[in-house]
Amino acid sequence: MTASFILRTVSRTADGRDIVRSSPVSDNRLTIGRDASNSIHLQDLAVDPFHATLTRQSAWVVAESAGNLGFGVDGKATTKAVLDAGKGAELRFGSHTLTLSEEDDVPVVTVARVGSVAEARDLEDSAAFSLRGKLPGKRISAWTFLLLILAACLAWPIMTFAKWSTAKERPQAVYADKQWTSGPLSKAHHGLEKDCQACHAKPFEPVQDAKCIACHTKVHDHADAKRQMLAMAPPDGFKRFQNGVKSAVGFPTGQRCVDCHNEHQGAGPMPATAQAFCTDCHATMKERLPDTKLANAKDFGTSHPNLRPVVSTGWQGDRAMLARLAGIGVLREDNGLKFPHALHMSAGGGVARMAISIGGKPLVCASCHKPTADGVRFEKVEMERNCQACHSLAFERIGGTVRTLRHGEPELVVADLRAWGGSGAPIMGTIAGRRVPGFAGSAGGYGPGYGRGVDAPFMKGGACYDCHVIDRTGGAASHGWHVRPVFQQTRYWRKGWFDHKAHDTEKCEDCHATARTSNDARLLMLPALDKGPDGKGCRDCHGGEASHAKVKSSCAMCHSYHTGPVRPWRPVAVRREGVGARRAVARP
Amino acid sequence: MALRATQTGRVRVRAGEGHQGYLTKLLWAKVAAALCLVAIMLYVADPAPQSSGGTAFGYASGTLAAGLMLWLTMLGVRKRATTRGRWSLKNWTSAHVWLGLSLIVIATLHSAFDFGWTLHTLAYGLMIVVILSGLFGVIMYATIPAKMSANRDETTEAQMLEALRSIDRQLDDAAQPIDRESAGRVLASINDDPFGGGVWNRLTGHYPRCETAAAQMALKRYTGGRADAGCDPLERVDALLEKKQALLARMRRHMQWKALLEIWLYVHVPVTFAALAAVTAHVVAVFFFW
Repeated sequence: MTASFILRTVSRTADGRDIVRSSPVSDNRLTIGRDASNSIHLQDLAVDPFHATLTRQSAWVVAESAGNLGFGVDGKATTKAVLDAGKGAELRFGSHTLTLSEEDDVPVVTVARVGSVAEARDLEDSAAFSLRGKLPGKRISAWTFLLLILAACLAWPIMTFAKWSTAKERPQAVYADKQWTSGPLSKAHHGLEKDCQACHAKPFEPVQDAKCIACHTKVHDHADAKRQMLAMAPPDGFKRFQNGVKSAVGFPTGQRCVDCHNEHQGAGPMPATAQAFCTDCHATMKERLPDTKLANAKDFGTSHPNLRPVVSTGWQGDRAMLARLAGIGVLREDNGLKFPHALHMSAGGGVARMAISIGGKPLVCASCHKPTADGVRFEKVEMERNCQACHSLAFERIGGTVRTLRHGEPELVVADLRAWGGSGAPIMGTIAGRRVPGFAGSAGGYGPGYGRGVDAPFMKGGACYDCHVIDRTGGAASHGWHVRPVFQQTRYWRKGWFDHKAHDTEKCEDCHATARTSNDARLLMLPALDKGPDGKGCRDCHGGEASHAKVKSSCAMCHSYHTGPVRPWRPVAVRREGVGARRAVARP
Repeated sequence: MALRATQTGRVRVRAGEGHQGYLTKLLWAKVAAALCLVAIMLYVADPAPQSSGGTAFGYASGTLAAGLMLWLTMLGVRKRATTRGRWSLKNWTSAHVWLGLSLIVIATLHSAFDFGWTLHTLAYGLMIVVILSGLFGVIMYATIPAKMSANRDETTEAQMLEALRSIDRQLDDAAQPIDRESAGRVLASINDDPFGGGVWNRLTGHYPRCETAAAQMALKRYTGGRADAGCDPLERVDALLEKKQALLARMRRHMQWKALLEIWLYVHVPVTFAALAAVTAHVVAVFFFW
C-alpha cells in the first residue's frame, strides 16, 4: 500500500521544544475540521467541525471547503484551490497552518499551531491593569505641553514684538504679543491696542514719559518742576524700601506719567487717579512750600480747605471786581441785580398768581435757570427770555402791534419815550388783558405813573429801577441815567469742577436751601463744604476716597492735575452708571 | 483608616498610616491657612490694588506663588527618596497638599480677579487645573484603596489574570464540539482582550462591546428553551461564560478603581509642566512689557 499523503503534526513542549510526528495516510481524501472524526482534527474554534477536504487527484492536491467557510492559501482567502505539492503551499485554518510539501512524490501535510489559547496576549500583568498604554505617557505629555507653551506663549510673542518694534503702526491683524496684555487699554488709547511698541519702546524697559509726550504735546505741567520736587513729601519707610528695590532693578523712582495714568486697567474711560498720588504732596505741602497760596488738603471728607467761590466784591465803573472768598452762608455778592428769590418763589403770593395766569403754575427754579447744553452749569438769566413775560416793557399798542422799550439800552428807552410822549397816544396800562408791571394800569397801585416823562422807568417804582442799580452818571443821550451792568457768575469754583448734571437726582433746594426763603438778592446761595448756616454742605454726601460716605470722592472727582479749562476725570463707576450714581468706586 | 483590619490580617494601629495619613498632620494645614490669611489681609490693606500687578503686593504674591509652584513640583524629585521623621516624605507630601491648596488663594489674589484671554489667565487656569487634579487625587486616595481591597477579595492581579486564562482554556476545550456560530462567539470571547477598551471604559467600568457578554447572550438563545441537560456541551460553555463574566466584572471594577487612582496624575504631572512653562512666559512677559 502506497501512502496518498504523509501527515506530520508539530506540537510544542512546555520547555519550547518541537515534537514532530509523521504518519502515512492511505486515503485519497483528507478531511479537515474541529470534529474529532476528521482525518486532520484541529482543536480550533475558528475551524468548522467539518471545514474542508484535501483530495489527491493525480499530481495535484485539491483543497476545497466543505461548507461556506473559506481558508487561506499562501495568505489569500479562498474556498477551493488546486495545489501542486511539488511547489508547496501553506494553508491556513484558524490559528493552524497546513504546510503542503512533497517527499518521494507523496504530498506531505505538516500541521502546526501558530498560537496557543489564552497565551497570545503576552502581557505584563501589573502594566496591563494600570492605565499605562491607554494614555500618552506623563513624561512625553509633560515635555510636549512644556515646549508647546514656551513656543506659543514665549517665543512667538517675542518674535512678533521684535518684528514690529520699530513700526509706527501695525496693520490690522492678530499679533502674538497681544496675549501678554495685562488688560484692555482705556477708551482713549483703544486704537493702540495692537501696537504694543507704541508705548513699550524697548523690551524690559519701563514705559517712558517721552512716549506719552510724543502724542500728548499740549499737556500742561501741573506746576513748576522744581517746585513740584520740593513739594513732594520725602518717602516714608515702605516707600524708601520700594524705591530701593526699584533702583536696584533699574526701575525709575521719579514721577512718571504712568504713575497716575495707569493703563491696562480695563476698557472704558481711564479710571481716576487715586487720591494718594495727590496727597503725596498736598497733604503737607505748606510745610515744604511756605509761600504757596494753597492750603493743605489730605482728604475731602476730613481735611480739605474751605470752599472759596469767585464772587463779585464791588465795582470799578462797569467792571465787577472778582475775588475768591471763603465764608459761604454769610458771603454777599455784589452782582448789580435786585432779585428777591423768596418773593418770586412764594407759592401763594402775587408773583405765583401771575405765573399761574400766564404759564399755569407758580415759578420754579427752572422757570428762569436753564442748564447749559452739557448740563454742567446754567445759562445766564436773560431779561428777554426769563423776566419779560411778566416784567413787560410794553408801553403802547398801535393796531395789533405792541411797542416795547429796548432792554439794556437806556439811550433808546429815553429816545422812545421822548418820541412817544409827544404823540399823545393813550398810556398803556394793560397789554392783552394783562397788568403790566412798571406802568400804571387799570388796576393801579404798581408802577411809576407816566406823568413824570422819560425819567419814570429809571426812578424808584420804575421798570428799570425795580431790578437794576441806577445812578446819574449817564450821558445826555440817556438823560443822565446809568444802569449798572449785571454780573452773573457761571463758574464759582475756579480750582475745582462742579457738575450739576451729576447731581440731577437732587432737588435744587437740597443744596441751594435759601432760594425759597431769602429775599436778600445779594446773598450767595451756595452750599458749603460742611453744613453751612442753611444746613447744607457737600460733605452731606461726599467723603474721601476711603470713607463710608454716600459718594466716595477722590481729588480727581473735582480737580484736574493738568491745569486747564477741561473737566477733571470722574471715577469710572459714576460715568458707567450714569450721573448721580450713589456708589463711587475708589478702587478700579 | 486607623484600627481597620486589612485583607492581610495586619492591623493598622497608628493613626495616619493609611493612604491619606499625610493629611492627618495638620501642621502644614495651619501654615497654609496662615499664609492665606496674611495674603488676604495684605490684599485688603493694599492701598493701590491694580489689575496690572505692578504693585508691591502684586510682586510679593507673585514671587511667593512662583516659588511655591517650583517647590511643589520638587515633590516629583523628592518622592524618589524616602526618609523618616520630620523630613519624611509623608511630611513633605502633607506640605505639598496643603501649600498647594493655599496657592489657590495666593494666586487668585495675585491676579486681583482680573481675567481675560491672555497668557496670564492661561497660566492661572493651568495652575488651577493642576491643583484641582491634585485635590481629586487626594480624594481618590482617601476613598478608593479600601474599596479596592474589598473587591479583590484577597486575590492578586496575577491570580485574577491566571484565573481568566484558565477559564479561557476550559472554554476553548468545552466549545470544541459545538456548532460553528456558537464556537465563533466563544472564540470572540477568548480573543477579547480583557484589558481592551479605552480610558473611558476603564474609568466608567462600562464595556458595551464585551464579547463575553455577547457570547453568553447568544448562547442563552439556544440553551434557554432547552431542558438543562448536564451533558450538553453548550451548557458547559454557558456555565464557563458565566464564570468568566463574574471574573471580568471583578477585574473591571479593579481596573476602574485603579484608573481613578491613576488618571489624575496623567493630568497633574503634564499640566504642572505646562503651568510652569506658562508661568515662566508670564514672568518674562510682565518684565518684557514693564
